[in-house]
Amino acid sequence: MMMPRSTGYPAVIADVAPVTPTLRRFDIRATAQPFPPVSAGSHGVFAFGDAVRTWKNPYSIVARSDDGSMLRIIVRLAQGSRGGSAFLHGQGRPGLEITVLGIANLFPVVRKARRHILLSAGVGITPFLSYMDAMDGMGLAYCLHHYCRPEERQAFHALLADRDPGRVVLHDDPDTGRLSEILAAEPVSSRLSMCGPDGFMNWVGAVARDVGFSPGKIHSERFSAPEGGAAFRVDLARSGLSVSVGPEDTLLDALEAAGIEAPCLCRGGACGACRVAVLSGVPDHRDHVLAEAERAAGDCILTCVSRARTATLTLDL
Amino acid sequence: MDGRFNTDESYRFPYAVRNSDAAILRFPFPFPEDSYMYSMNVEPHVPAGPVASLHHAFDIDEHYVSECREKARILAEDPERCLVLPHMRQAEWDFVELAMDSLSRDYPDLFALDRDGDRWRWTNRPLEITQDFVFGNAGTLPCGPFEYMARQMQGDFTLQDQRDGDLWMDGGMVTSQADWSLKFDLGMSFGQWHAPVPKAPQMGIFDRALRFLLMLRHGHPVRRLNWTMTINPRLDTSPENFTIWGGDRGSVTADNVADKVHLRVELQSLFRLPRSNAILFSVRCYLLPVGAIARVPKWRSRLHRVLRDLDPALVAYKGLDRYLPQTVAFLSRLDDGAVLSPGIQPDTAILIAVDDLVPR
Repeated sequence: MMMPRSTGYPAVIADVAPVTPTLRRFDIRATAQPFPPVSAGSHGVFAFGDAVRTWKNPYSIVARSDDGSMLRIIVRLAQGSRGGSAFLHGQGRPGLEITVLGIANLFPVVRKARRHILLSAGVGITPFLSYMDAMDGMGLAYCLHHYCRPEERQAFHALLADRDPGRVVLHDDPDTGRLSEILAAEPVSSRLSMCGPDGFMNWVGAVARDVGFSPGKIHSERFSAPEGGAAFRVDLARSGLSVSVGPEDTLLDALEAAGIEAPCLCRGGACGACRVAVLSGVPDHRDHVLAEAERAAGDCILTCVSRARTATLTLDL
Repeated sequence: MDGRFNTDESYRFPYAVRNSDAAILRFPFPFPEDSYMYSMNVEPHVPAGPVASLHHAFDIDEHYVSECREKARILAEDPERCLVLPHMRQAEWDFVELAMDSLSRDYPDLFALDRDGDRWRWTNRPLEITQDFVFGNAGTLPCGPFEYMARQMQGDFTLQDQRDGDLWMDGGMVTSQADWSLKFDLGMSFGQWHAPVPKAPQMGIFDRALRFLLMLRHGHPVRRLNWTMTINPRLDTSPENFTIWGGDRGSVTADNVADKVHLRVELQSLFRLPRSNAILFSVRCYLLPVGAIARVPKWRSRLHRVLRDLDPALVAYKGLDRYLPQTVAFLSRLDDGAVLSPGIQPDTAILIAVDDLVPR
């Protein structure tokens, strides 16, 4: 417990099963010490790869077995990702080594709320699978509304088959009028939590505000899959090193490959732990953490997802 | 910790608390420099450090049995020293697991935990307790899980819920506090319960500390030392009992300062709890009379310089006004002005004999 686990929890993929054509479930078995207990809404950072390259990707933890031997995640085959999820879909078979580098919770259940309304789309359902287990255990009132494509309806129906049918509603049509009715019927004490693609969350957020949800009672988790871009170079003021960031690399990966101990936690632009001061150059912000004023000031960058608008950046590292 | 306890100590009038030479040398002296101001003095809570009291997740020392008995007396007189809001139930079990795992690992001669699935057996040899229970089933313990375990540990504990980008003090057991009340602070946010502290808010310390703690990771606890001063070896300097101990602050004279005035150090450690995502705040209190501190040359000189030059706002906030002059006068006669090493380590393995401490 006391020693920092810089090496993480070694594990292997134990089982793989399709959920939908683009979603695949992975059960991951610890091979050394058991996984720690996990709070609902947590994500892990998972390291895996082959001889050529290693990915370190965040995924919501759907479940942990009581004895700590297994973690379950669901991975979406994302177009335009940097390839980690595509690698798992293609090469993620039982026996593949995978290391859980760290577990953190940026999307905790608000236990004091009288009632929870959960809204998800696509792979955004993953944190709510753990939410519903925890809420059942704590006796909290909730209702999940999950949005999917018509052709995925059967698959999500199967995924949710063992849930209380009175608390789970599937929608294959994003009907604004219907969502307005659902949200307007919620008591003022309800908390709204949402997870899904940006377009979905913007839609839900707008409808919720229109029916009078206070912004303080709307919760969301947004992860960014780091997307590539033009290559750039960072000059590190403290160490004097220069590091090149290729079109498909993240700045954080490039720093780590150069042996720099850069801070990080979620690796998805959601937590802010990897924030580093920018001494010169213009950052290209792609995170969900910095306030507008901080973006405009341009004097810091989240290395896990953001890039550069200029050919070089000078960082305080 | 050698397994022997001072079992006949009294933390209330008539006071009777002894510190062995070993206990003095393991004291977490809080001043790494000759002057003091608030800072973000947070470091990883790893089993290492310049004094032995920092070497365990939860430190057990020769006062363990007496402190647990004093805690039980305070709780009998005032049961609301332990309050946990209902939504913190998972955090209670997180605490039970962390405490039992840590104590049985760090002190296998004193504590044992046998786990068979969720059927657990806890053995506490110093307090002569053996308890079979089902982890997660509060009905199998004689009281609430947090209260059950906190009664068997030195120091105070609070449970912080994390929600809405803030921390909320939603539970705790507080019986050895430096003049603050859980009854008053329960349910407050991080900014609210720190509101009485001078200067630090303007320095931005609480904003930075909150940002840091919201990111605290399971398995990576942190610690800091905080301090104040207390007259007599009294753990329970609570607002509830101010009428009992407040007047003692006017009782210090040149003749009794060495025995009466105590440096009170809080080893504060913070742990992310995995099931609940709550944060455990542990406040382990150490009391050492300035007469005992004076037996370590480095510490007495440093304490003299810190107290002599302390910011008046901190003197007032910590309530030192009425006995600071006597304390500084006592220590000034023992400070030879030598340059002191940075850091808190005592720089000696042998204490000066009490008889050699007679002021010039």
